[in-house]
Amino acid sequence: MDELTAEIKTKLIEVLNLNDVTPEDIDENAQLVGGELGIDSIDVLEMVVMVEKEYEVVINNKEIGEKVFSTLHNLVNYIRENSPKLAS
Amino acid sequence: MNTAKPSVYIAGLGIVSPLGSGIEATFSSLQANQSGVSPLRVCPVKQQPPLPVGQVEDLRGDSTLPRGHRLALTAARQAMEGQACALDAIVVGSTTGGIALTEELLAEQNRDAALYSHHGLGTVAEAIGEALQCEGQLLSVSTACSSGAVAISMASKMLESGDATWVLAGGADSLCLLTYYGFHSLQLVDKDGSRPFDVTREGMSVAEGAAFLLLTSEEPEEHYGVVLGSALSCDAYHGAAPHPEGNGAHAAMAGALADAALSAADIDYINLHGTGTPDNDLAESKAIRRLFTSPPSLSSIKGLSGHGLAASGAIEAVVAAICLKRQFVPANYGCLEADPACGLVPVTTPAQQQLETILSNSFGFGGNNGCLVLAGRAKEKDGHEESVPLSIVGKACLTGAGHTMDSMGAFFTLQPMAGRLDEAVISKDLPARSIRRMKRFSRMVLALAQAAKADSGIEQSPHAVFMGSGWGALSETWDFLENLAATDEQFPSPIDFVGSVHNSGAGQVAIAHGATGPNITSTGGDFSFEQALQATQLFLENRTRYNTAFLMAADEAHPQFTPLLDPSVREGQEAADGGGGFYLCRKPLPGKVAIALPFFQVNAAAALDNMVQALGSKEHIAENCAMVLAGIPAAYEEEGEQQLDRFMTLTGIDVPVIHYRKFTGEFASASAVAAVMGVQLLESGEIPAGKQVYVVGFGNMLSAVTLAMQ
Repeated sequence: MDELTAEIKTKLIEVLNLNDVTPEDIDENAQLVGGELGIDSIDVLEMVVMVEKEYEVVINNKEIGEKVFSTLHNLVNYIRENSPKLAS
Repeated sequence: MNTAKPSVYIAGLGIVSPLGSGIEATFSSLQANQSGVSPLRVCPVKQQPPLPVGQVEDLRGDSTLPRGHRLALTAARQAMEGQACALDAIVVGSTTGGIALTEELLAEQNRDAALYSHHGLGTVAEAIGEALQCEGQLLSVSTACSSGAVAISMASKMLESGDATWVLAGGADSLCLLTYYGFHSLQLVDKDGSRPFDVTREGMSVAEGAAFLLLTSEEPEEHYGVVLGSALSCDAYHGAAPHPEGNGAHAAMAGALADAALSAADIDYINLHGTGTPDNDLAESKAIRRLFTSPPSLSSIKGLSGHGLAASGAIEAVVAAICLKRQFVPANYGCLEADPACGLVPVTTPAQQQLETILSNSFGFGGNNGCLVLAGRAKEKDGHEESVPLSIVGKACLTGAGHTMDSMGAFFTLQPMAGRLDEAVISKDLPARSIRRMKRFSRMVLALAQAAKADSGIEQSPHAVFMGSGWGALSETWDFLENLAATDEQFPSPIDFVGSVHNSGAGQVAIAHGATGPNITSTGGDFSFEQALQATQLFLENRTRYNTAFLMAADEAHPQFTPLLDPSVREGQEAADGGGGFYLCRKPLPGKVAIALPFFQVNAAAALDNMVQALGSKEHIAENCAMVLAGIPAAYEEEGEQQLDRFMTLTGIDVPVIHYRKFTGEFASASAVAAVMGVQLLESGEIPAGKQVYVVGFGNMLSAVTLAMQ
């Protein structure tokens, strides 16, 4: 697991209060929303806030949001590609 | 023998909203199809540009009062204009109360608790009661965006039951940071203004306003029609999203038609909830198409008025009454191309139409739905229901001493119960995943419901939920506002916003237990449990499968918020919180304790005499009452003791009196714990068979709850 993936997993666990989940439990390629973790639309919105606050990446488009939050892998990649913070 | 129920006449109307102040101004705006939605101006925000909202720009009244109170007072006074009646009750639906002022004080870091005295949702009803000199009941409900409709439904039930003759009912909410940024964080706000049912709609416009209906069972010479029927339901599906098939909406509409003894074909116009959010409008459409084979003319006025949240149900009831009077149907402003997925064709231009009956829909967070049927003329409706007892089949409480057994163990050995129980202990029996988004208040409520059900030994969950709370979800509210301030209003938390509504706990209970019946959160400071019991008496049906409910009340002690808000709690004082809950069944059950609320009123001149009278004759009280559990909040210590002395003198009884707050500590819903104590005393045989326990509340209101073994 690379550093950014590990970091984002930890932040998700924290922001969604997934107390019984460890970063290793999150399968990067598994369905993120509506999957085993029980993540739903309100969690997605909370993740949107986290992603904007921590990585300055704005996701305010439903279609993009659906793609980005489909798996953790996609989320990490989207942040990696779009975050001005990571570019610097 | 069946006798006809009294009709519910609309004797007066009051309204202040983005459409204007008063009936005439409102009608003119509707007729002109002129939207009151525009960029926010009435309160300063840091994030620019401001979003479109529905605002009341020339709001008058006492500027020391919060906006919500001023809106409410304006509309209430209008509704009472020219009326010389003595109000038996005022019922107010509100979700924001005085929070606009609280937000300002917090931003100034002002810690003067006296300035926060208008924060509580119940203070809106209290302000109206004071202005109108109402000596009856002041009731407050908070069921998110259906609050106004629920308040009107509650008032109708009071009048139909014969318990009241004149009731002022409605709703009020003001714009504030909490709702402005909260709905924005949920991406439910349309940046172009709300366009309900349009194919390109993107959300709602948060708004403010207030509206009241003066309702009476005495036919006035002139009136605005009648409230013919109403019904409530709960989606029991999700905290913030409607059931995708509109199941709860369908149940509430069908229930309101049944209550009005009408069929779907009898409805001439539907005033839609129609917020403009993609999900709401779609779910509402599905429910309508399921119920109405050929829907009548319909429209949502929220493109014109914005979404007045708790006020919206009342605003739209007043608009419905105006429509009946003027034989007029308002347009669904903003819908340029009706969404084919919705399959409804809303009215696009204001039109004259012959109207006899109107269905008005209101749905809210927590899956709380309320529907009203208004009609031009009264119609005879069958009968007065017999008074059937509310039997307690399960009980639970939480205090600083622990769950029910530990709390009662402490009480029976005269040990202190006051304190703030560890959150892990509160939620020890709740599945970790299901509560991960919940903070202290909702966890307490969920734990109480689960424990009351377990205590009942009944596998089936109850149908309805009646919840009381003086202060609601303080942790979420505090965290939302703190986080908002800390991030320059940039990153409001959607999870905290959804959790911050007063009815979040009751909504979660409904989801966890599949409770699809009426779901009401009552609030009113130290008398919130009593108000929830009042709601139970009015709404819990006497029909198999529909006759069970959770009745609960809880409050959380928040380290920063509680000392500012609860006048009985001061900074530095040891924190105490908790609550009590019951699994109730509306039928006589020998061997079970029956709970009732024979009296609840403002502390006015003759109130104590009235309370004693409501409990029965002096002889009856002497014969029955074995113990008084007295609730005197610290803020009313001196006055409360005098009231208690006078109560004992008036009744002439000489029985043990227990000041239960000495055990529970100071929190608004302590009386719910006292009720559990009383039931325990009766069930354990400590109180002899045939005797009763009174839980009597003193202070700015007076209340009497009776507990009797059947």
